[in-house]
Amino acid sequence: MIVDDHDGFRTFARGMLEAAGFTVTEAATGAEATEVARIAQPGLVLLDIQLPDFDGFEVARRLAAGPAGGPAPVVVLTSTREASDYGGRIAASPAAGFLPKDQLSGAVLRRFLARDPV
Amino acid sequence: MSRRRLAVLISGAIAAAGSLGWPPSPGYVPILICYEVIGLSFLVAGVAAWARWPASRLGLLFSIAGYLYLLPYILVNLANPVAFTIGNLSQGIYTAAVAQLGLAWPTGRLRSRFECGVVVFDYAQLIGFSVAAAMFWNPAFVGCTTGCPANVLLIGDGSRSDLDTVNTIGGLVSLAVTAIVLTLIVRHWRSARGWSRRAMLPLVWLAFAVGAEQIVTGSLLNLSLPSLVSFGLAPLVMLAGPVLFVISTVRARTAGGALGTAIVDLEPGASPDRLRDTLARALGDSTLQLAFRQPDGSGYLDTAGQAVDMGRPDPGRVVTRVAGPDEAVLVYDEGLELEPQLVRLTSAAASMALEHSRLQAEVQAQLEQVRASRARIVEAGDAERRRLERDLHDGAQQRLVTLSLALGMARDRAAADPELGSLIESASKEAREALTELRELARGIHPAVLTETGLAGAIQALVERSPVATTVTAVPGGRFLAAIEATAYFVVSEALTNVAKHAMADSAEVMICQRAGRLVVQVSDDGAGGARPEGGSGLRGLADRVASVGGVLRVDSPPGCGTRLEADLPCP
Repeated sequence: MIVDDHDGFRTFARGMLEAAGFTVTEAATGAEATEVARIAQPGLVLLDIQLPDFDGFEVARRLAAGPAGGPAPVVVLTSTREASDYGGRIAASPAAGFLPKDQLSGAVLRRFLARDPV
Repeated sequence: MSRRRLAVLISGAIAAAGSLGWPPSPGYVPILICYEVIGLSFLVAGVAAWARWPASRLGLLFSIAGYLYLLPYILVNLANPVAFTIGNLSQGIYTAAVAQLGLAWPTGRLRSRFECGVVVFDYAQLIGFSVAAAMFWNPAFVGCTTGCPANVLLIGDGSRSDLDTVNTIGGLVSLAVTAIVLTLIVRHWRSARGWSRRAMLPLVWLAFAVGAEQIVTGSLLNLSLPSLVSFGLAPLVMLAGPVLFVISTVRARTAGGALGTAIVDLEPGASPDRLRDTLARALGDSTLQLAFRQPDGSGYLDTAGQAVDMGRPDPGRVVTRVAGPDEAVLVYDEGLELEPQLVRLTSAAASMALEHSRLQAEVQAQLEQVRASRARIVEAGDAERRRLERDLHDGAQQRLVTLSLALGMARDRAAADPELGSLIESASKEAREALTELRELARGIHPAVLTETGLAGAIQALVERSPVATTVTAVPGGRFLAAIEATAYFVVSEALTNVAKHAMADSAEVMICQRAGRLVVQVSDDGAGGARPEGGSGLRGLADRVASVGGVLRVDSPPGCGTRLEADLPCP
């Protein structure tokens, strides 16, 4: 699941990931993300930190609780900024890791799914 | 000097010269010269008092006393029996004028009907007893036999015993009047306040000297005094009048000088309270009041909070407006009215000091406005930087990311065309580099990490990016005002940039601690030192930034001993 309020990014990211063999759902806000996750139960959530309602850390915390009693998805935080711009907040969140948006690729996400992020 | 005053002096001098012919024997010449000096000193004091205190009758009283003192000696020299007789019997009348002078000090006006009665009685008893004594006084009693004009009031050949009786009774009455006058003078002094009380103190002492002289030389005690004492003590004591005038003049001048010094010494922007105390001390008038018109126009209140009725001041008090926009008034003892110059000086000094205080307050207010305005400008600048960073993040950075992803996808799809693939790869690389540069630019405009995590995270991020090995020894974890956080961040950022660029240091250390309402930011290195805040190292701009939030920046950078930069910021 791609959670990002930027339509252009969602479109290209979806195209890239579908080409890499992923089945992709989308959400544009934090509230929408928890709702879609509850229904679609994605295995991995690419979660933008900067969202219009909640920030990515709060959404990650909610998703970590496991939507509708199902297994918690692997959450990968993402941003156009670098990880250092968020200090220790990324490490303190339940997310599996952080990926700068421009470095997105199917291969990188698969490594996250394998719990072996670069 | 006006013609009138000149005439008084000239006629006095003629009178003094004319009276020199009186001495019955050459041995009395020195004493007579003393008398001349005393008489003339009264006239000079009178003319000076007229000039200095035009509103007072003291000048007139001094002059009357001077003439009453000198005229008898002229009259006895006129070789005319009537003049000779009047001259002889009028020799002691000047004491009534002196008593009137003492009672009327310092305004020249007697204070009550009773005092007027005492003075009139004094003149009357002196004239009466002199006339009575003249009826029994034969000039031959003092060895004046040949060439001496006749005493026209003499009955028969006169009588020594009757003369002594009249003189003794007259002396007793004079003594009683003197006691009354002295008591009244002491009462005046005790009831006086402020300037008048201090101005009357010399008079009280001199009045007692006059009283003592009358007792010692008077006929009551009938002391067998040497002629030098009996004739010399009175002139010395009589000099008390002119001396009193000189003391009061010196005192007014001293007060004027003290006033000037006190105002010069008054600290800038002194409170009205302090100004009143200074003026009161300089004038020696503890009752001086400085009052201001209430903003609601309801009246005047002095610095102690007492209401001042401008229309009806307390008895013995005078109100004078102080020039200037403060609508202030001085309320002082009426005795000070005799010194219009001193009043003008006091009013001018008060006006100047108040104006100074007002300007000081205005400057202070303007300075506060400028400080607040500078802080607002810096805060607005910070807000604008945050907005710019956010816009870059939400706009250009997002588009470059999207572009980068699109180029990546295009490259994958152009695998069949290596030339096109290479071209797209080049474009993709350019897009990534542009994104990296844009990130750096955005971070320079405003560190997102500061907004996201606060000072601790932002400082850690700075330290991690620093090319010089840097350790953070302390940094508080809480959040502070945005302006304080941003200032502390920029201090560390600028300091670490300088360390990397100029210090040639091996290591650096950052310490931020919060103590006693202050946030102290310290960055030190082991580099070459020699950093100068006035140099072009950005330290001046940093000092301005620190000052904008009410902080202080200190730079300690001795050559060869590293640099220590400390910002002391308010931390409410």
